[in-house]
Amino acid sequence: MSDFGFHLAFWALAAMTLGGASMILISRNLIHAVIWLVMSMLGIAGLYLTLSADFIAVVQVLIYVGAISVLMLFAIMLTPRAERDNSQTKISAPAGLVVLLVMIATMWVAVDTDWGPVRDGALTEQARLIGESLIKHYILPFEIGAVLLTAALVGAIALARQDEEDGPVHAASLQAELDGETSIDPADVIDPPLASEPSDGGTTS
Amino acid sequence: MTIGLEHYLALGALLFCIGFFIALSKKNAVGVLIGVELMLNAVNLTLVAFSRFGSAEVALSTQVFVVFIIAVAAAEVAVGLALALVVYRNRQTISVDRTTLLKG
Amino acid sequence: MSGLSGFSSVLGAWYDFRDLNNLQRLITEWIAEWGPDWIASIVTGVLGALAILGVIGPTLLILIWVERKVIARFQQRYGPNRVGPKGLLQPVADAVKLILKEQLAPRSADKLLFFLPPVLIFVPGILIWGVLPFGPRMSVADLNVGVLFLLAVSGTAVLVLFMAGWSSNNKYALFGAMRAVAMSISYEVPMVLALLTLVVFSGTMSVNGIVEWQQQEDVIFILLFPLSAVAFFFAASAELNRTPADISEAESEIVAGYHTEYSGMRFGLFYAVELGNTLVVSGFIATFFLGGWWLWGLDQWVPSWIILLVKTGAVYFLLIWTRGTLPRLRVDQLMGFCWKALVPATLLFVVVAFVERTLLISEGWDTTVALPIMAVFNIALTLGAVMLFARVSRPAALRRPARIRMAGAEIGGLRAARQVASRTEEPQFQVGGD
Repeated sequence: MSDFGFHLAFWALAAMTLGGASMILISRNLIHAVIWLVMSMLGIAGLYLTLSADFIAVVQVLIYVGAISVLMLFAIMLTPRAERDNSQTKISAPAGLVVLLVMIATMWVAVDTDWGPVRDGALTEQARLIGESLIKHYILPFEIGAVLLTAALVGAIALARQDEEDGPVHAASLQAELDGETSIDPADVIDPPLASEPSDGGTTS
Repeated sequence: MTIGLEHYLALGALLFCIGFFIALSKKNAVGVLIGVELMLNAVNLTLVAFSRFGSAEVALSTQVFVVFIIAVAAAEVAVGLALALVVYRNRQTISVDRTTLLKG
Repeated sequence: MSGLSGFSSVLGAWYDFRDLNNLQRLITEWIAEWGPDWIASIVTGVLGALAILGVIGPTLLILIWVERKVIARFQQRYGPNRVGPKGLLQPVADAVKLILKEQLAPRSADKLLFFLPPVLIFVPGILIWGVLPFGPRMSVADLNVGVLFLLAVSGTAVLVLFMAGWSSNNKYALFGAMRAVAMSISYEVPMVLALLTLVVFSGTMSVNGIVEWQQQEDVIFILLFPLSAVAFFFAASAELNRTPADISEAESEIVAGYHTEYSGMRFGLFYAVELGNTLVVSGFIATFFLGGWWLWGLDQWVPSWIILLVKTGAVYFLLIWTRGTLPRLRVDQLMGFCWKALVPATLLFVVVAFVERTLLISEGWDTTVALPIMAVFNIALTLGAVMLFARVSRPAALRRPARIRMAGAEIGGLRAARQVASRTEEPQFQVGGD
């Protein structure tokens, strides 16, 4: 764990992870924030590789980069552009104070604690081991997790889906479009990033 | 200097705090979700570090824990984003400091 | 040299072209004499990437010509035949033209995110080659989670397409990106399930392990799980944005999809990666379902990578064939086919694979007897499922969308839908926001 290549990998990945996370704080556009989140997640996947947890690393890329970030981008695209700023609330100063205290406490615990005899052993065949323990030792949590995912799936669909009759946002304008009275620009519904466009939050309703 | 457990723990703590700050201070509901995701990832990183450097009997259970956390995080994001959509639909905003219906 | 016992004279020498792994092994041994390990791993990694790039690049130029020629034959035309002998230099001329062209960028584009995608799209395009085994030991990285790696890497490409479409600040580009994302998320599900059948049945997630399982049991997976093979083939061609499913860059609807605003070599890079992905997906289909580098003992006499390349070429020809023959499907048809046909069918075969695996392992059935029986049963089940699907989804049901959803109403299909509604005057045509 002390050769040069490992050092290089660790520090580069740590910089990537923390840099991406900090850019989420700074960036003013929510879509950029999600892209920075992806960078941070890739850095964490790389750190898993340095810890020789390759199964977790691949799962991290598969779920966070391939699914969760895309889901977030979709949700952002479904709300109009006025809702895409990424600024701070009023309580950010006291929140910063709290976070600073938490950071001092956790860093102190992480660095100062005697973690006992440090082993340096990596699991081999993690996918097989994790799979076997999931269906033997952790069968009950596994089943509960399955139920949770199903419930989340059903719940998310039930929440996000609109009834056909009372869709408040677009149904009226679509009806008008069908009657040939007005025409709506599809960009009002899902609009690209135009630099200086007045906010259109809720005007289509 | 060798890179050991402390480095990963410190990195995880820093990442957790950045995520915590994002979750506390962002106006946008999706921004808050991003912060929560970062916090969960920091915890995952810490767990995997313990799986590598900790005692041998936790090596497997920590990784199983990480798998569970990732599953729960995926469910949480799906429901959270659906909630954000519903809030937007009803209130025309997903800014967390403007959805103040319960504030007297 | 486990795979090649037909010859035994020049085994292990660097010029032994039958197992290219020797070259890498010799380099590693040479570096290990004087340097640390990490230099060896970096050097072999870079060499592997360079080998992939150096072989794939020229191959793509030839493949462009092959694809255009073959499609021209299907459509009773000549195809390119002016530049060079039989038009062979046409792709080179195209590449030179693309490089010399001016690179335009929309003034209101999101600068950083507009310039990154043509570069970033290369990362999954190259990484995905890393787990393709050309021979018993001839993959750049034989990961023990290779199948997951394949899915994870191909999933990241979606994000790049989204970046390209969104940052262009062009509504057609955005529609193309949204379509690409929606479709690739949907088709990832049958893809995962189709691969899950193989993983469950062979009990390994290593790509090479799956090939070795087929070699050991003397059977190729397309005979055991034909429906998974077909589903994987269709899902892969949808992920690749090839013509039966290329709604994300349908030129008759949304100009060119997510790369509408990219000109010159930036467009060329997208195009090249798309072709390269087609090639590597053909390779993976050949590996997973057709036995990869193994062919009933022929790999004793012919170098394994030649066998794989021949199979890859056959699958590639099949992809060109579907592209040249089938018309483009509509968005809702594609989505409906994915969720209503492919997902249940592949899910059924995951269950079948579980049951058969249990019979083989726990009940200890003899594989030489059980595997042919299972193959016959699965083929019958596949035929039954296909006939059921053909009966349930009558052409009329596919042609008439029940209601306009997001894909139809909000992404451009409204006027066309209105025309259909006024022409046929069907009262069940509802309008709703989504």
